[in-house]
Amino acid sequence: MKRAKQILFVFLIAIIVIQFLQPARNQSGQAVQSDISNTYSIPDSVHTLLGNACFDCHSNNTNYPWYSNIQPMGWLIERDIKNGKAKLNFSELGSLSSRRQVSKLQGVENRIKDGTMPLSSYQFMHPSARLTEEERQVLVDWIQKAQDTIASQR
Amino acid sequence: MKRLAVALAVTVIFLLGSNEVILAQHEHHEVKSTDKDDSAPKHQGKNETAVVKKNDDTTKTSPKVNAKVAASIKEIVGSYLQLKNALVNDKTNESATAGAALETTFKKFDKKELAPQQKKVYEDVEDDAREHAEHIAANAGKIEHQREHFDMLSKDIYDLVKTFGSPQLLYKDFCPMYNDNKGAIWLSEKKEIRNPYYGKKMLTCGSVKEEIK
Repeated sequence: MKRAKQILFVFLIAIIVIQFLQPARNQSGQAVQSDISNTYSIPDSVHTLLGNACFDCHSNNTNYPWYSNIQPMGWLIERDIKNGKAKLNFSELGSLSSRRQVSKLQGVENRIKDGTMPLSSYQFMHPSARLTEEERQVLVDWIQKAQDTIASQR
Repeated sequence: MKRLAVALAVTVIFLLGSNEVILAQHEHHEVKSTDKDDSAPKHQGKNETAVVKKNDDTTKTSPKVNAKVAASIKEIVGSYLQLKNALVNDKTNESATAGAALETTFKKFDKKELAPQQKKVYEDVEDDAREHAEHIAANAGKIEHQREHFDMLSKDIYDLVKTFGSPQLLYKDFCPMYNDNKGAIWLSEKKEIRNPYYGKKMLTCGSVKEEIK
């Protein structure tokens, strides 16, 4: 019994200590020149969908949920953001060559079509990220238009 | 005293864990800033590609590259064709190996051998193609994902041989079905159609669009 108490005590201390280890926030607060909204024209409907489903992990501005302040949840979120931005960052898409922009957008289209994005864990916590068939189609149509625009500028 | 030691140990472990998160994030920021620095020249490169391509359409490829560059291009095309044949045969592990080989070839390409204009075109293609090769190498077991990247990679390699000349006779083939009927191209060393996008399912589906010498 005494042993169990000790373990619990250590555990509690650890939980309290890790609360002080807040990862830096992914919030630049400004739209840079290379931001996707400065690169192509995005209808409001598309921008809303991207914001609901993508930007939290694929841009420089995350809209953090309240539980991100509680560790280790914050760390898990941080990991998703880090991985997400490494693959694709809508805030800096415009800084890539047009060849790579087309490639990246093709990747987005493929992930939307096969349903692997947004992540199911993200959808679980964010109801607005659960895209309907129509919403997926809206995004796919927009991507194809954007790709044509970029390709025609080459 | 013992209790305190245990508590300390646990704290240290958690500290290490969080440090990893924070460190990794910093690394990431660095990578991004170099990306930005590169962007300006790359965009210029794009326009040049277009110009070069226009000339080449009528004249066939006229390589004005030195022997070392030609050898590297040959190696790139060789790895690409290996990858293509692995996909034709539905071999995901072989595709990954060929993708890794392709990435290595790009990595060791000696850009100093290129004229300034050529360098821009090359770097533009390389930047994109390397990423695809990397993904193909990293996704053994997910052949459909490998094929997605192969689609985009094929466009890069096509532009590369159109600009720098092809080391051998190549056929630009077209599969009209891939990408929900948007279609996709690939390069082949053989005239007969062997479709890398569907493998066994649709082996002879497609058509020759162009011969590249």
